[in-house]
Amino acid sequence: MGKTTYLGEFEELILTMVLILDDNAYGNSIVKAILEHQQRDVNLSAVHITLYRLEEKGYLESSMGGATNERGGRKKRYFRITNAGKALLQEMKDARLNLWKIAPQLNFSA
Amino acid sequence: MTIPRPPRLFQRFFEWYCKDTLQETILGDLEEQFFEDLDSYGSWKAKRRFAWNVIRFFRPGIIRSIKKTQKFNTMDMFKNYVKVASRNLVRNRLYATIKISGLAIGIAACLLITLFVIEELNHDNYYPKADQIHRLINRYDDPVNSGKWTAHPPMVASMMEELFPEIEKAGRLIPYDWYFAGKNQVRRIDRIQNSYEEGFVYADQSLLEILSVPMVYGSIDNALSEPNSIVITRRKAEKYFPGEDPVGKTLILDEVEDRPWTIGGVIENFPTNSHLQPFNFFLTLAGEEFWEGEQTSWCCSNYNVYLMLQPRVDPGVLANKMKTLMTDYYVPYLEKRGDQDAENVAMYQGYELQAISDLYLKSGDIGDIIKTSDIKIVWLFGSIAIFVLLLAAINFINLSTAKSANRAKEVGLRKVVGSFRLHLIQQFLTESIIITFISVLLGIILAWGTLSLFNQIAGKSLVMPWLAWWFVPGLTALTLLVGLLSGLYPAIYLSAYSPLEVIRGRLSQGSKSSRLRGAMVVFQFTTSIILIVASIVVYRQMDFILNKELGYEKDHVLMIQGANTLGDKLESFQNELMNIPEVVSVSVSNYLPVSGTKRDQNAFWKDGRSKLDKGVGAQIWRVDKNYLETMGMKIVEGRDLDPSLVSDSSSMLINQKMAKDLGLDDPIGKKIQNWETWTVVGVVEDFHFNTIRYGIRPLAMVVGRFGDVVPIKIKTDEMQKTLASINEIWDEFMPHQPIRYNFMDDVYESMYADVARTGNVFTAFSILAIVVACMGLFGLSAFMVEQRSKEISIRKVLGASLNQIVNLLTTNFLWLILISLTIAIPIGWYLMMLWLEDFTYRIEMGWVTYLIAGAIVIIISFATVSFESIKAALINPASSLRSE
Repeated sequence: MGKTTYLGEFEELILTMVLILDDNAYGNSIVKAILEHQQRDVNLSAVHITLYRLEEKGYLESSMGGATNERGGRKKRYFRITNAGKALLQEMKDARLNLWKIAPQLNFSA
Repeated sequence: MTIPRPPRLFQRFFEWYCKDTLQETILGDLEEQFFEDLDSYGSWKAKRRFAWNVIRFFRPGIIRSIKKTQKFNTMDMFKNYVKVASRNLVRNRLYATIKISGLAIGIAACLLITLFVIEELNHDNYYPKADQIHRLINRYDDPVNSGKWTAHPPMVASMMEELFPEIEKAGRLIPYDWYFAGKNQVRRIDRIQNSYEEGFVYADQSLLEILSVPMVYGSIDNALSEPNSIVITRRKAEKYFPGEDPVGKTLILDEVEDRPWTIGGVIENFPTNSHLQPFNFFLTLAGEEFWEGEQTSWCCSNYNVYLMLQPRVDPGVLANKMKTLMTDYYVPYLEKRGDQDAENVAMYQGYELQAISDLYLKSGDIGDIIKTSDIKIVWLFGSIAIFVLLLAAINFINLSTAKSANRAKEVGLRKVVGSFRLHLIQQFLTESIIITFISVLLGIILAWGTLSLFNQIAGKSLVMPWLAWWFVPGLTALTLLVGLLSGLYPAIYLSAYSPLEVIRGRLSQGSKSSRLRGAMVVFQFTTSIILIVASIVVYRQMDFILNKELGYEKDHVLMIQGANTLGDKLESFQNELMNIPEVVSVSVSNYLPVSGTKRDQNAFWKDGRSKLDKGVGAQIWRVDKNYLETMGMKIVEGRDLDPSLVSDSSSMLINQKMAKDLGLDDPIGKKIQNWETWTVVGVVEDFHFNTIRYGIRPLAMVVGRFGDVVPIKIKTDEMQKTLASINEIWDEFMPHQPIRYNFMDDVYESMYADVARTGNVFTAFSILAIVVACMGLFGLSAFMVEQRSKEISIRKVLGASLNQIVNLLTTNFLWLILISLTIAIPIGWYLMMLWLEDFTYRIEMGWVTYLIAGAIVIIISFATVSFESIKAALINPASSLRSE
């Protein structure tokens, strides 16, 4: 990866959620997880679009499976994070920490 | 209780727009969420959220891309269609030629006629305020008689303008031969040589303003406002004053030097679609009074009146209001004069307003001198053109379906590899549109090449409107329309083949629709026969007109025109002419029994009964002593007029019809009166002096000595020599005025130019129709022969004669022709009866007409069909059987 890729805030959130949900990451479960952990009601369509975009970029991979009755017998598309995705998340986390290190120490008690 | 489902409509919508690859998972997610919402919020909110989600998904990335679905292979298939179509055309050259050339002929005919119809329909609509300009029409409508005419007394125009505020402006026109109106010898005052000119009219200054004629020189505000001013058109200005501004210059008419005409302005030539196009010289009516008191008298109606209405005035309402002018002024005048008609006029006569744009096509029932046409002609031309196009389209359909068997394998194979029926229909329509496109191109070239011929037939001067805004789009639309029209049936028919049947070879060769093809051939030939019958009838009627006993002899009569300028030298001129040995007699008169000469209608009564009886309308003609001899007219009772008798200045010759209408059983010596009293000295045999569409009307002759026309009866066929001698004498008398003459039989013939034109149109189109129909017949017979070539060969081998084989192949087609004949004859008979009803004197429609028409069609079609048949019958059987 010669070029550095940047992710948007929402993309990073989704990518992280897929990492967290591990084997159970699909459209609806991600929406619910975001609501649960961040108290943020995101739209299903936004999630889907972002998932496909991330898949296209190579940070996610998907597989079909797990048809249930509630879905009218339709299969789910499960997403898993790829190694590239994990590496990117790691890199982004490190970069942020580095930035925090050089930030002036704020004295909250003053 | 039923379980709520996600809203169906939105689900459908989603399925419609969403990419196929994403559909299942997203829809699954949506439904899952729906049921969760159902548990937590209830059905109504769950549905709303589902709908809202569907709408939110309608965004790039989810929507199926238009490009990707269409990418399919349409363009490639289209290329394939074009390729296959062109291969087919090349392979079946004969049929392709027939289809294309037939259509090209049809399209050329259609195109020419469209040009004609457009010109006819756009007559007199170009004036800046055309919708406000109307012509004033008299209408008389009693229970027995009715009529419309355009001439009004002189003051009507100005009175209308004063009395009715709805009228903005009124202007008068005199378009007849009247005083200086009509034709004159013309010269510049500074030249001696005269030229003969036609197209003189009298007009008001206000008429120029009403029509907003564009000026080349001078001002439209005062071009005709001075007495003795004249306005000429650009083409005449260029003739008499090349390269200069002629305003203020002077013209002399007919050598009347004490009345010079001063040019007040030059106007643009009237366009060909104006009824004023024939007129080039506009003489002012300002200060004009043709006789004492003329301008203020109700006696004589000589003026056409044009009115410019205020905007948004309803002409119908205004016309009814105008009646007051008649009841308040005209009727009192008639009553004062003791006229019998006063009561009738008050009751039955009124005004009508005719929009100027209706003048050309809708003046059929209006008595008027202006050259007009008839909407019926437009319909006639238009419908014939459509029929010819239809015949050509039928060729296309017939040949396509007949040759369909050859395409069946292709259709079958295409279906096997996955073509839907719609694709095949598309393919065949593409083919037919390609063929139509080629035909349209050829048709345009053909129309262009024959335009001058068509102009001759139709009496027009049309040009190809290459640059008109409608030309390209119109032709494109025509291409698509004709392509679809003629391609649709074959396309549906061909695409219906079942692949299984075709590949098993179960398909009977093109026989399935032979009955329909037969019907179409019958339609083609019925149309052709009707057109042939029509042309024969029109030609026979024309022939009848030209050879009818007229009561005078029109052959070998030369008419020298413009002889009024001879003045006192007339008699010596006549005497000189009599010295030419070939000249039988020489007369002089303004009144001749052909059109373009003077007419004078008067009311006559038996002496003393003018206040008691209804008058008999009759012509009163002034003629000289040699008139009857020159015209070949016969006295049936009494004697000729004798100008040398002083008493004969009040003597009169009447025709038989007049004697009858006046109720004179023994007319000789009886006295009759108009405003003077006359003594009848002789009765002349009835002769036709109007077109023979109408019967002969009453006519009287009195002694006259002068006139415009010198008719000369010549006894020889050696015209050239005689003409030279006459010319020589004329030049001696009138060195500054070129001789102008015509022949009476030519003028007579020109009176029936419209009949001749109708005949030409029918002939031209019946030739086209029969050519197109025969082309189709030829194609079908060639196809039939091709199909049966093996059968023919076997028959030959078994000993069939040439005759038998030709019979076998032609009988079918001849049956179709016979059926067409039986259908066409009654229709043709009915239509031509309608046409002939216009003529008082007409031919009987005997069986000869139909015999000729039938014979023509049978011979032509037999020749067409037998050509291929004989060729097939002569072929060596071995050559077609060898391949087996």
